[in-house]
Amino acid sequence: MTKPAAHPITVEVVRNSIVAYADEMANALCKAAYNMMIYEVRDFCCGLIDTQGRMISQNRGGLPIFLADLGVAVEDGIRRYGLDGFKPGDIMIMNHGEVCGQHLNNVVIYAPCFVDGQLVGFAANRAHWVDIGGMRIGFGSSLTTEIFAEGLQMRSLKIYEAGVRNETLWQIIQDNVRFPDASLGDLRAQVASCQLGARRYGELVSRYGLETVESCIERIWEQADIAVRSVIEKIPDGVYEAESALDNDGRNLDQPIRIKVKVTIKESTMSVDFSDMNPQTFSPLNSGKSGGIAAARVAFKALTSPELDVHDGCFRALDVIIPEGTIVSARPGAAIGLWSIALPTTIDTILKALAPALPNVIPAAHKGDMGGCSFYGFREDGSRFLLLNIFGGGWGGRPGEDGEDASVSVCQGDVRNTPVELQEIRYPMLIEEHALREDSGGAGQYRGGLGVRITYRALVPCKVTVNCERTKVPPWGLQGGGDAAHNVATIYSASVPDRIVYKGTEIALAQGDSVTFLTAGGGGYGDPGKRTKANLENDLNQGFVSPEKASALYGWRADA
Amino acid sequence: MNITGIDIGGTFTDLVGCVDGKIVTSKTSTTPADPTQGVARSLELAACDLPSLGEVLHGSTIAINTVLERKGSRTALITTKGFRDVYAIGRGNRIEAFNLWFHRPKPLVERQYTYELNERMNAKGEVLIALDRAEVGALVSELQKQGIEAVAVCFLHSYANPDHEKVVGELLRAALPSLFVTLSHEILREFREYERTSTTSLNAYVGPRVRNYLNTLETYLRGANFGGQVHIMRSNGGVMSLDQARMQPVSMMESGPVAGMIGAGRLAAHLGLEQCIGFDMGGTTAKSSLITRGQPAIEDGYVIGEHASGQPMQLPVVDIVEVGNGGGSIAWVDPAGGLHVGPKSAGADPGPACYGKGSMDPVVTDADLVLGRINGERFLNGAMQLDVAAARRALDEKVGKPLGMSTMEAALGVATISDSNMSLSVRAVSVNKGVDPRETAMIAFGGAGPLHAIAIAREIFIPKVVIPKLPGTFSALGMLMASWRQDFVRTLVGRLGTLDHELVERVFNELAVDGKAQMQRDGISGDAADFRFYADLRYVGQEHALAIRIDAASMLTSDTQAVRKLFHEEHDQRYGQAAIEEQLEIVNLRLVLTAPREDTMAEQWLTEKWEPTDNVPEAARDVVYDDPEKPLRARVLWRPSMPAGMQITGPAVIEEPNSTILIHPGDLVTVTEAGHLIVDLARKD
Repeated sequence: MTKPAAHPITVEVVRNSIVAYADEMANALCKAAYNMMIYEVRDFCCGLIDTQGRMISQNRGGLPIFLADLGVAVEDGIRRYGLDGFKPGDIMIMNHGEVCGQHLNNVVIYAPCFVDGQLVGFAANRAHWVDIGGMRIGFGSSLTTEIFAEGLQMRSLKIYEAGVRNETLWQIIQDNVRFPDASLGDLRAQVASCQLGARRYGELVSRYGLETVESCIERIWEQADIAVRSVIEKIPDGVYEAESALDNDGRNLDQPIRIKVKVTIKESTMSVDFSDMNPQTFSPLNSGKSGGIAAARVAFKALTSPELDVHDGCFRALDVIIPEGTIVSARPGAAIGLWSIALPTTIDTILKALAPALPNVIPAAHKGDMGGCSFYGFREDGSRFLLLNIFGGGWGGRPGEDGEDASVSVCQGDVRNTPVELQEIRYPMLIEEHALREDSGGAGQYRGGLGVRITYRALVPCKVTVNCERTKVPPWGLQGGGDAAHNVATIYSASVPDRIVYKGTEIALAQGDSVTFLTAGGGGYGDPGKRTKANLENDLNQGFVSPEKASALYGWRADA
Repeated sequence: MNITGIDIGGTFTDLVGCVDGKIVTSKTSTTPADPTQGVARSLELAACDLPSLGEVLHGSTIAINTVLERKGSRTALITTKGFRDVYAIGRGNRIEAFNLWFHRPKPLVERQYTYELNERMNAKGEVLIALDRAEVGALVSELQKQGIEAVAVCFLHSYANPDHEKVVGELLRAALPSLFVTLSHEILREFREYERTSTTSLNAYVGPRVRNYLNTLETYLRGANFGGQVHIMRSNGGVMSLDQARMQPVSMMESGPVAGMIGAGRLAAHLGLEQCIGFDMGGTTAKSSLITRGQPAIEDGYVIGEHASGQPMQLPVVDIVEVGNGGGSIAWVDPAGGLHVGPKSAGADPGPACYGKGSMDPVVTDADLVLGRINGERFLNGAMQLDVAAARRALDEKVGKPLGMSTMEAALGVATISDSNMSLSVRAVSVNKGVDPRETAMIAFGGAGPLHAIAIAREIFIPKVVIPKLPGTFSALGMLMASWRQDFVRTLVGRLGTLDHELVERVFNELAVDGKAQMQRDGISGDAADFRFYADLRYVGQEHALAIRIDAASMLTSDTQAVRKLFHEEHDQRYGQAAIEEQLEIVNLRLVLTAPREDTMAEQWLTEKWEPTDNVPEAARDVVYDDPEKPLRARVLWRPSMPAGMQITGPAVIEEPNSTILIHPGDLVTVTEAGHLIVDLARKD
């Protein structure tokens, strides 16, 4: 770096401003969005990208797995058009599976930012569209075998060119997705959000000059890197390995999917090696390389700099070894519709590998899946509905305290479940209970948090898609703590016997049928025998643990 | 009539009154154990005679502190069978996304005191399972046995049909008269069960303690022969009767901070400012609020406490963005060499290093002193001498040396970062709402506000700053201008233009009936009241709605063109786009009911002709602005000596008993006829 060092005060002003702009973009997107995957689930990210495709800043909140990975989408556009191929008023659209590595519902929009005719960066966002076409409604079918059945792909196309909308492309989208009003509404919100971000960043660059702003950003990255390395230096050098498994790929039900990682700590660097992960499958459980990188980054960030803003500088001390062809680095053309399913388990496995090196830091495993359901069908008035909801589950016990209950996964951050009242206003479903699942937390000196129990009754004939994972390797305990109860769904029908379902796409429900989802708890931490009497009594009083489990797992006696 | 406003904060009790046509003020320490002592002392200091007063307006932190300190009553929650854990599950989100050790909001009611009743409504308000009165009877003895002091009742879909809640309320109130009972529909008839449960539980949790507090206050006032009315400041920027406050204490959570914004709104209206930003900087935080045509923006709810683990409160609240940055905020350097200010504050004890109480933590006030921006001799009207050497030492030790800067550079750095922090909060209340700061003005008050306002305004391109009279006690003054205000909401979901006209009409009527009933309880005459109806609207498929003013039900059912146009405009302004061709959906109907104050003494004082009260000669001193090595010679003026019409150009410092105003080079200050200062910022090229 030959740039002059920026004044420390200017650095702080730039630091605050760039994140505030990304937050502003997120606010604009979220408030104007049409689908609950954006406004409730917050399945999106917004940020500023430099002309080399590096992440300058990202909004706070939102999905952790969208970690500084907007850059690859922008880089592809830079390669295609060249830095001089962008004009003010251009808006790009991008969801190509090979480049982005995520299911096609995740659509990236970005806008170039110009100051005095010079391209200085990009404002970008990614948001989950409720439908992108393809063989199944919404997303999450386990039946696809290649990406071409999963929807419309758009690779670095200009949806606006110098401010003029490309009507051909617009209509192709309109004609090829199932809820065009929602998707195009979201697209409009994404475009407005990018225009806002580009305008703000342009103001900042006009004020301080590009050279100063870039040297401030470089300084911010360096500071983060120093902070991150100082944390890694405290971890003993060594090679740490762990293994776990997903149940299956949704087609071959008896074949578990191996999740195996090797973490190497050397001085101030960490490498995560995915070479021994399960090979990619014929089901859509794969992700592109960006999936593996995201998993490694989430674990790395949680350990090294959870409080810092997200940008390129946070990950300089991380090396990800990821050969092509594994379940988290599938080759072009592979089905990737369920790209995120393997990620929570992968992250937990990286943390588990490091548990011996960081005995008082790493909690027991959390619920381990993305957790959610989808129902769809037609209302009595003939209109089509698609109900999506996200469920929380238990988090692992921690050294010194119990795990949290009913919280979304490590891959999801400020992601919210949908209010029962809102679901019943909008969809022909009756929700009969939404409760904590007693006894689901792993036993331990510090107990795992509880999962939830939620029951839907269909008021019209409809279909349900179920994706329960990690039933064979439930959330594990640490330091002597016990495993948690795993995920399960049961379908109750007047006409056929009760059915336990782990994975199923578009299972038909008759009017009056009901489905109960039980989500996993978190693993326990430490020997259950060491749990204090006061904590155990509180568990019993509050109903978190039943008397039967208290005596079986903790040796509790009513008369003691 | 004589009136006083008394604001009991965590540290100080402030009083501003209009007595015999004059403004009186006082400031005294709060006595947390017995707040009436602070009230008594502040009245005495201001020479206010209780029997001669016609009205006391009051704001207090009691409700919010009860929540933050978790010192509320033993509270039970009664809910629909199957939904006992709605309160504990919340929305399941983790705001601190990368924190493996995150904490989510912890319910104020324990699970063992959460009871289910076998009843159920659907979303249309139709009864699916009828309530069994016998089941309620059994619950009564359980509540007694457990020593429950307060109960929150929140049934699913009670916003659509509150009948079951009403029955439970009647039975509980009849059986246990001393029990504090809150029914969700009584305070919030809006969907979203978690937020409604949380709001209802908050009310019950603080209820008994706030009720006792208000009873003590009333007993004291009546005992001292006060025969007038008592009004309590509420979070929505209005006031309510003592009786209503005893039933709905949750609505006085932000009792203190909103009053200043009300005052700023009145001043904005007086000065004809279409849009401005109220900016209040005190010792620990800075608060900003957008004021449009004299009205501060109102939000539908917020979170009490930490943003990741606080308690949701879904009642209208003046939209104030607060940052942990005030005069007492501590400056610190992180291990990687980043300089930060706040959110930790030195408080009043030990306070800033310059208080000379031994603190070595440099704060914003220390930096201001070292830069020559405040006068160590005149702090708190000369009541406290400030120690410049101590301030320099602290800045040097904790900021200058670690970063290799001179003392002056360090001081300027602290002031600049502090201004940058605060400017982001000002930006949040303007740009986040689609408002361009270049088209606004700022009204700055609070002890430290006038000192930093102009730098902040410059940073985000606000061209004009107004410093009102009495900026140091402006919040207490604002209380004397607050209207009686009630907010009512009713969830009603349907497409614009297709909803049944009679249904819409009926819901508007119900809102009006509720409003009139409250007017009657509080003795508000019909002529004075202003009924304003709104509909929360959105594009079909969207979640977030915008409130649009409605004059008649037909605007939603038949003649919908006007509403559509208003909505598209509002959407375009807020989010930069509108979808003219799309359908609109109604979510909620609202009524905002206000009754203006009968007296307008405080407002009159705001516009009253200004006469200097003192004659202190002008002086000069060195003040650091942008260059730590080159201080500028600034004029130093005493505000009580400045006549109306006077104009000066910065660099200048204007001092007054409870505040200091820093004028930057080239900025033009004008003293208005009423004595406010208007600062026109020099344009930067």
